[in-house]
Parts: sequence; structure tokens; C-alpha cells
Amino acid sequence: MSLILAVLLAPPLGASSLAILVRPYQRFVGWVSTIGVALSLAASIALCTTVMGAGPQQEAVPATALWRVDALSALLALCVTFVALVAMLLGRRAGHPDREELARTRYFWIFTNAFVFTMLIAVTIQNVALMWVAIEATTITSAMVIPLTRTKASVEASWKYLLICSVGIALAFAGTVLAYFDFVATAGEVPGALNWTVLRGAAPSLHPALLQLAFAFLLIGYGTKAGLAPMHTWLPDAHAEAPSLVSALMSGVLLAVAMYAIGRWKAVVDAAVDSSFTNRLLMGFGVVSVVIGTFSLVIQRHYKRMLAYSSVEHMGLVSIGLALGPLGAFAALLHTMNHAVAKSLSFLAAGRILHRYDTTEIGKVTGLLRVMPWTGALFAIGILALVGLPPFGLFVSEFLLVRAAVVTGRFWVAGLVLVLLLTAFTSLVHHLNRMLYGEPPPAVTIGERRGWSVTVLAVSVGVLIVLGVTLPRPVAALITQSVRGVIP
Amino acid sequence: MGGAFSQLVMLGSSGMLVTALIVLWRKGVPAYITAYRWQSWLLAALTATVGYYGDGQLYWVAGLLLGLKGVAIPALLRTMQRRFGTEREAAPYVNTEVSLLIASVLVVFAYLLGRPWMAVTQLPTRQGLPLAMSVLFVSLFIIVSRKKAITQVIGFLMLENAIALLAVVGTFGVPFLVEFGVFLDALMGFLVMQIFIYHIHDTFDTLDVDALARLRH
Repeated sequence: MSLILAVLLAPPLGASSLAILVRPYQRFVGWVSTIGVALSLAASIALCTTVMGAGPQQEAVPATALWRVDALSALLALCVTFVALVAMLLGRRAGHPDREELARTRYFWIFTNAFVFTMLIAVTIQNVALMWVAIEATTITSAMVIPLTRTKASVEASWKYLLICSVGIALAFAGTVLAYFDFVATAGEVPGALNWTVLRGAAPSLHPALLQLAFAFLLIGYGTKAGLAPMHTWLPDAHAEAPSLVSALMSGVLLAVAMYAIGRWKAVVDAAVDSSFTNRLLMGFGVVSVVIGTFSLVIQRHYKRMLAYSSVEHMGLVSIGLALGPLGAFAALLHTMNHAVAKSLSFLAAGRILHRYDTTEIGKVTGLLRVMPWTGALFAIGILALVGLPPFGLFVSEFLLVRAAVVTGRFWVAGLVLVLLLTAFTSLVHHLNRMLYGEPPPAVTIGERRGWSVTVLAVSVGVLIVLGVTLPRPVAALITQSVRGVIP
Repeated sequence: MGGAFSQLVMLGSSGMLVTALIVLWRKGVPAYITAYRWQSWLLAALTATVGYYGDGQLYWVAGLLLGLKGVAIPALLRTMQRRFGTEREAAPYVNTEVSLLIASVLVVFAYLLGRPWMAVTQLPTRQGLPLAMSVLFVSLFIIVSRKKAITQVIGFLMLENAIALLAVVGTFGVPFLVEFGVFLDALMGFLVMQIFIYHIHDTFDTLDVDALARLRH
């Protein structure tokens, strides 16, 4: 297990250090990073099989162990490394060799690798306070890459991102301290008191009132990072202004990592307080996020912001799912996985569109299918997957989510979610239509080779279809086992 | 652990609240930096006091706090402020009188929120808990009601101090490894914010975040 963990974590750290040391930027740094992340992906697949082979009984680790990998961690690690690999394969080509560009590329690899590394730490570490440290570090590392090309808009977006998320995450730390305070007041100082397993084991004897307060802080804190409304205001700016490779990582998996932290804490608090408390809060934030996300989609004029608001909507769905018991949690985790693949695909395709058209406005991108037949098709597939059309994976997870709502007797949630999904569907497809057809602008070159990037993105499409048509048995088993990490 | 200990903790925590309030009624950035430095020193002194009565490891933490938040960060803030000249917090979103009123409401709210956990603990330091919450809420208010990027950063730093205070009086400090990680993040976070303040100044020619209103819908 520890060897696999080393293979998972070492490559991004090593690649980041390499990018710092090699100066000026050399092309091989990008290659090494990409191969490193491929290694990490292999390690995370190995983690998944190990965890499943061990089964839920063998998950118990010594209370003082630094790392703790269960099915939930393995699932998140898999998402992170997959999206990172796809993004890096697309961004590997090192632009034009002028000096400034080289400096920027070096800078990009330093922080992107560090960003991936901190996300992987966050999902595998056992101590909840160190998990906080890692998540805070993701804010810093990702904020550094947003203004890669320094414009007023990108500086503004990254400032907002940095400030709002730092403040939010500080509140999450206050929540962590409150929970620890509760633990120390009851059980005294114990080694490993901040370890998730110990906390969860001790939770039934903790004070419910204090844990409720702690959870409120934690949910607002990590919720800010997860893009839950009304704390989502930084999200559309940051995701739209970041380079597309970074947007893919931020939107696809960083939000999921923050939701992971919420899920972990929910399991602790649910052991002490009746689970209806956390469920009510998650349901509230989830519904508000879906409503705000959906209606912001309707009025969008920029396609990257449109994708960003779609993330708010999807994180809302995940939050609703977590509030709906084991069935809902299953749907939520499957949705997280599907969303990671579909959103990274869409953002990466959007990045290629931006590169060709040099505008982010929906109205100025016309005739996409003629200008870039491959990218246009991939972008369309990404959007159609995001609106939950079959045969893509999000259809299955959204269906399961609505079913979970019906089974638990929350018909109004099921109805509301369906109506909102329909609204999102019509507005996204409307925007998509405007982009795909029509006369291309005269300044844009027409035609596209089927290159390397297209092949890579096609793999993402394949994954989405496989997840949608036949939910493979190992994946289903992994998610079923992950649900134990969220629901007692 | 006598009454003197609780008195000292109470005094130190109240002092930290007062330094946070200074930001609400003074207008110049230099005054804010001084207030922040005082607050950090109080925090370090408090941590050392708790270390004296409780866990000796806290002396290290106090030393780190003094070095980082009491000396290094204020010095960096000063350099930054000198470079940008004396831009004053001319017209905050909320004026001074209303700000102070809101702050008092926040303090009362913190005390209300603190009641359930005052009941569960017998720690001699428990008087500090609602005060730590008050500092937390007041710093949050500073961040949302002030316009200069540099003031917002100071508000953020005070928020961090509030949480450190919460950890010290509530739990006699979190484990050292965690404390170290938090320090590292605080330092990195501050340095990155500093870089961004320079970016904002270069691209917008002002530190007024009102100018940062380009991205809407």
C-alpha cells in the first residue's frame, strides 16, 4: 500500500521540483510531468483494486497512521489523476519558443504539478487538519496559474478567487478547531485525535450542539471552495479566466475534492447528531446552487462562464445527492466522477475554440462545425453529456439521483430537480446551436486536422459512454464501497 | 491554574478584539498595520502564557508567531504600503459609525453562539472563546466592508489570528505538525496575496477593489 501511495504522490511533486530547477524551461519537463501523471494514474488504479480486494473490513488502519486510503479516497484519486493526465496531454506542446512564453510555460508546469500534488494529498491524508492544509494549498497553487496571461480580467478573477476562498477556507479551519475542541473537552489529549477514524469513532460521545456549530463552519468553508451558492461568486470568474487546462482541473476535480472534505465531516457529525441535521443543510445549499446555476446558464453570453455556472449546478446536484441517504450518496459519487470527465472534456474543447476564434462570446463563435469539425463535435458531445442526455454517464447518475429523492419520499426535490434540469437542458442546447451552425466569421481560418488532442479527448468521450451504457461492475463496486465513507 | 491565568487570557483576548476594532475607526493603512502588529504580539504573548500554565510546546508556537506575524509580515506590509504611498481608505462601503454599531452586534452574536460550548468546558481559558469568535466576525466584516486590497489582506490576517486564538484558548493548541502546516499556508497565502497586490497595482493603477468590477455575468 505504501509503495502505491509513493508512486501516486511522488511524480507530481518531483515534476514540480524539476520545473523549478530546470531553467530556462526545457521541453522535456512537460514530458516528464505528463509521464509522471500517467504513473500516478496507474497507481490510483492499483489503489482502487487494492482497496476493493481488501474489502470494507480491512479498511481499518492504525489510529496514528498518517495516510488513510479507503474506497472514497481511491475514487477521488482516480478522478484527479485521470483529468490531470488528459489536461497535460493536451497542454504538453510548449507553444512558441520566445523567451516570455518559455518563462510562462515553466511557471505553468511548476504550479500545475504542485496543484495536482496538493489535491492528491488532500484525498489521501488521514488527519483532517492536514487535509485542510492541503486544500488551502490548492487555493494558493491554482491562484498562481490563473493570471498566466496577465490581463485586467484575469488579475481581477484571481484576486477574487484568492480572497474569497482563503476566507472561506479559514472558516473551515475554525470548524475543524471547534470539533477538535469538543474532542479534547470530552476525551482529553489523545495521539491522533484529529485523525478521521478516531474522530468518527469518538463522535457518538461528543457534544451535539458543538458539533453542529462546527459543521456549519465547515460546510460554509469547504462549500465556498466547492462552489456552492451563495458562496460561488468567485467561481465563474476564476474558471472562465484561467487557462483552459487549469479550468479543467479546477472545475472537474478541485470542486469534487472540496465536496470530499464535506462528505468526510458529514460522516463524523452524523455519528453524533441525527443525520437529518446535515442532510437539511446540504439539501438547502444544494437546491440554492442548482437554482442559481441553472438560471445563470439561461442568461450567459460567454461559453466558458456558461461551463462554470454549469459546475455550480452540478455541485448543487452532488450536494443534494449527499443529503439523500445511501442511494443518493451513490448517485452523488457517480455524478462526481461523470462530471469530472465531462466538464474537463468541455473546458479543454472550449480552450481550443478560444484559441481559434480569440473570443469567449457565444455570439461571436459561429459555424463551429465548419471551422473546427472535430473540436466542434467534441464540444457538442461535452455539452450534451453535461445536460444529461443518454448514452452518457450523467444521464445515469441524474436518473439515480431523482430516483433516490422519490424513494426517500422527497417528491418536491425530485420535481424541482427535474424542472431545473430541463431548463438547463434547453438553455445549454440553445447556446450550443448558436455556436455550432451559421456562417463562420471571415477572419477565422477554416479546417482542422484530426490531431493528437482530438484522439485524447475522444478517450474521455469513450469513458463517458461506457459509464452511461454499462456501468462497469468494478466501478459500481468501488462506489458502493465509497458510500461507506460518507454514510455511517 | 489560578484566577491569574484566566484573567491574563481574558485581558489578552480583549486586547486582540480592540486591535481589530481599531481598523474600523482609523482611516490610514499605517494605522492598520500597527494594529495588526499589536494584535500579533498579544497573540504570541497569550500563547506563551498558555504554554507557561499548560503545554511547554506552545513556547515554540509563540516564538514562530512572534517572528512571522509579529515582525516579518508587518515589515512586508510596511514595504508595500511605502511603495504605494499613503492611499487612504477614503470611503469604505460602510461608514465608521455604522461599522462600530455592526461590530458591537457581532460581538453580542459571538457571545450568544458561544453559550453552548461555554457550558461543556471547565477550562480556565474558556472566557477567551467568545472573544476569539468576536475577533473572527469583526475581521470578516473588515474584509467585506473595506475597499482597499491591502485593507482586505489585513482583515484576512486578523481572521487568521482569530482562529489561532481560538485554537490556543480552546484546545491549548492543535498538534504541532498541524500548527506548522497552518503556518506554512499562512505564509504562502500572504506572499501570494502580496504578489497579487502588486499585480493589481500594475494593471489597474489603484488598489481600490471598486475598480475590479469588470467581470459581471
